[in-house]
Amino acid sequence: MAIMKRGANVALTREIPDLAGVVVGVSWNAGSESALSDNLVMASMLCGADGRLLSDEHFVFFNQLGTPELSVQQMEQALGGDQEQVEIDLRAVPAEVEHIVVVVYLNDGPGLRRTLGQLRSCVVRVLNQDGNAELVRSEDLAATLDAETALALGEVYRHQGEWKFKVLGQAYATGIRGIAADYGLRL
Amino acid sequence: MRELDPAAALRRTDLPYLRRRSRRPVPGSPAVAEFFTGHASHPHHHGGPPPAPPQRPGAQPTREAQAGAPASASPPPVSASLDLSTPVPRPSPPPVPTPAATRVRAARRVPAGTQLILTAAAPTVTLTRLQSGIGTLTVEAACSSEVGDLRLGAAYQLRSGPTSTVQSSGGNRMAPPKTRRPVIIGAREPFEKLSIDLRQCRDLERLAVYAFSETRSPLRWGGTLVIRTFGGAEVEVPLENVEGRVVMLVTLYNVAGEFVLRAEMQAVVGDVREVCRAFGYDKITWLDDRTPVE
Repeated sequence: MAIMKRGANVALTREIPDLAGVVVGVSWNAGSESALSDNLVMASMLCGADGRLLSDEHFVFFNQLGTPELSVQQMEQALGGDQEQVEIDLRAVPAEVEHIVVVVYLNDGPGLRRTLGQLRSCVVRVLNQDGNAELVRSEDLAATLDAETALALGEVYRHQGEWKFKVLGQAYATGIRGIAADYGLRL
Repeated sequence: MRELDPAAALRRTDLPYLRRRSRRPVPGSPAVAEFFTGHASHPHHHGGPPPAPPQRPGAQPTREAQAGAPASASPPPVSASLDLSTPVPRPSPPPVPTPAATRVRAARRVPAGTQLILTAAAPTVTLTRLQSGIGTLTVEAACSSEVGDLRLGAAYQLRSGPTSTVQSSGGNRMAPPKTRRPVIIGAREPFEKLSIDLRQCRDLERLAVYAFSETRSPLRWGGTLVIRTFGGAEVEVPLENVEGRVVMLVTLYNVAGEFVLRAEMQAVVGDVREVCRAFGYDKITWLDDRTPVE
């Protein structure tokens, strides 16, 4: 099991040439803060070469569990220790998609405000969809968080005809609004 | 009634498991044709040569065929349909009408940062799945004191079961009542306001926002109902051209993850109980004409 630091990347399809699909899972420990875990949302964004979201329909989260061509689908119930999981069928991803960015954010609901700094741990990992073997996992991304309310965990991206995975660990103090500004998400 | 054709239906991207487990009928497959006509097209148990195996279009040739064996050497096929013998003559099924080119009117949208006014002529707008699922959706009655003692409330139905009303005054401030994690909260700051927690949008089946006079004295209607998304889109409903002490203002339905808003502006004789019943909230039980039983 490989532990990846922020910024590290791994060539998924070069290491495993017959890799057809991956599962990106995120596991967090919010302790007893139910207001924190209740409002944490995982989302995946299919972005073009310019790093911008293709369309509203290419934002995959609990209220839109799949993209139109169903290449990226979020599980309603994650399996095996993760809080949330998204399945990526690498061969069905539209050709114009270069990056699939996986984020978590705190929903800005009417209740109590929380921050990601209250997370005890937050780890993103990549599984082989065929057999659920863990390929890589990130270091604990929660250690450096403070008052942020959104976090880009990692991205699955194309590079010279291969699929790679990179740990991002980019935190946002402005929550989903900061992510929306960076990736062209229309809220 | 128009026949619904599953092949022409819109794809449901919100229910992925349906796609994984469903298989559309193969056109021209004998087994499927037998199923629809209700009798086998060839007698299995009455002698005669074994029919050619049913072959789906694009099916791989069998190993025998690849090896050059005669087709008659292949084992007799097993039909998937039941043959209860004595074929009863039955009328041929009615012809399936070819679906007319269905015109789906594009839903009206309200992009972030813009404003849309709902009128009697154009009363609906559909929020996107993002607008229906990120942040908080607020419904606020922007009314001056000239209007009178206008209060806002809403009847709601949750997919987890609860159905009741939520009001900042004279009722339950939270929906569902006595919860640690409300889906809807009523407040007054300074306008009457309802806030919907969109992290729980999948639990919300429908909502109906009404206004009523707290003191039961007549209202001098005016002002605007403002529905605001997290991204800053505003849907506005003028509170004019209406009479009465209790008025249904706006209904919301969760249609496949998208909130559909509709301006109703319908006065109802009676009180909150009658306005809720008039819009189909008949599972709410009442203590009096404006207080539900919990």
